[in-house]
Amino acid sequence: MTITRILSAVLLIAAFAVSAVAQELTKDEWQKQITELTSKRNDLKNRLAAVQTEIDNLKKQDADKAAALKTCQDELAAMVGAEEAPYAASLDKIDARLNELSRLSNQDLYARRGEVDSVQKWIDAAKQHRLSVLPKYADRLKDQQSRVDALKRTLQQILESGQGMQAYTVGTWAKDRDCLWNIAKKPKVYDNAFLWPKIWQGNRDQIKNPDVIHPGQNLKIPPKAALTSQEKSAVRSYWNKKQAAAPAGGTK
Amino acid sequence: MKKLCTLVLLGAFSVSMLTGCGSKLSDEELKQLEDLKAEVTSLEKEIANKDAEKQALLKAIADKDAQLAQCMKDKDALKSTPGGM
Repeated sequence: MTITRILSAVLLIAAFAVSAVAQELTKDEWQKQITELTSKRNDLKNRLAAVQTEIDNLKKQDADKAAALKTCQDELAAMVGAEEAPYAASLDKIDARLNELSRLSNQDLYARRGEVDSVQKWIDAAKQHRLSVLPKYADRLKDQQSRVDALKRTLQQILESGQGMQAYTVGTWAKDRDCLWNIAKKPKVYDNAFLWPKIWQGNRDQIKNPDVIHPGQNLKIPPKAALTSQEKSAVRSYWNKKQAAAPAGGTK
Repeated sequence: MKKLCTLVLLGAFSVSMLTGCGSKLSDEELKQLEDLKAEVTSLEKEIANKDAEKQALLKAIADKDAQLAQCMKDKDALKSTPGGM
């Protein structure tokens, strides 16, 4: 009898398990899912067709744009002609020189300050070229100009700080004709004789009378710049003294 | 009492069997459902791919538009220069 009970209990559990599996999805639920999925599939098919139509239109637009772009680029190439390559090369040259100058120490930059002016002239010439109106070159020239401006600012700072001061050893009058006027006139000094008071005022410790300098004297050459008010005043005073000391009727 | 207990157990067994068998789905119906699910998944993937293709095309067109605008600008700039054509 006990065996019968156990068997019945096992059968009952098995029956519940079987019925539970079978009841995972009822017929109604299946039908509901089939209906929902069919509707979703139809929506997706419609959406796919719509996207495909959009893609076809976009492909056509893309092809049209490519053709228009090629036409425009061909026309532009015809307008620019053979000028572009040499023009671009000239801008490359400016870039290369700017890179070189930008890497220099302040001392070396000051020594090669003339090259900064040369680069500025190249840029000015490049700006005159008709291709300079093309945005890609206009932007490049603008960048190059700002780099030259930066170098000029650096040079100005070097001048103001006195880092650019050079030295000059006075030679003999017989051989070199060295006086302050002639020294200032030398191209490697100021290339401007009227700036001689700068040398005088820059060397007050060793030049008491600007008419008298001695061979072998090491003079400091202040940076080239316009005469300061102090230097102008010194020159006036010098000429006044010279006139006062001159015999009556003299010109100097 | 023992008989009553046995009867109750048998009754419950019969009810559960009847309930389970009454709503069971055929293999064909289950396959239909699975096929439909697979089709929906496949369509969703295909649409995702097409959307990506559409975005790539839109980007390509926008790039060409920008290049074309730049080209026209360059041409106009050259035309306006004294040495222009």
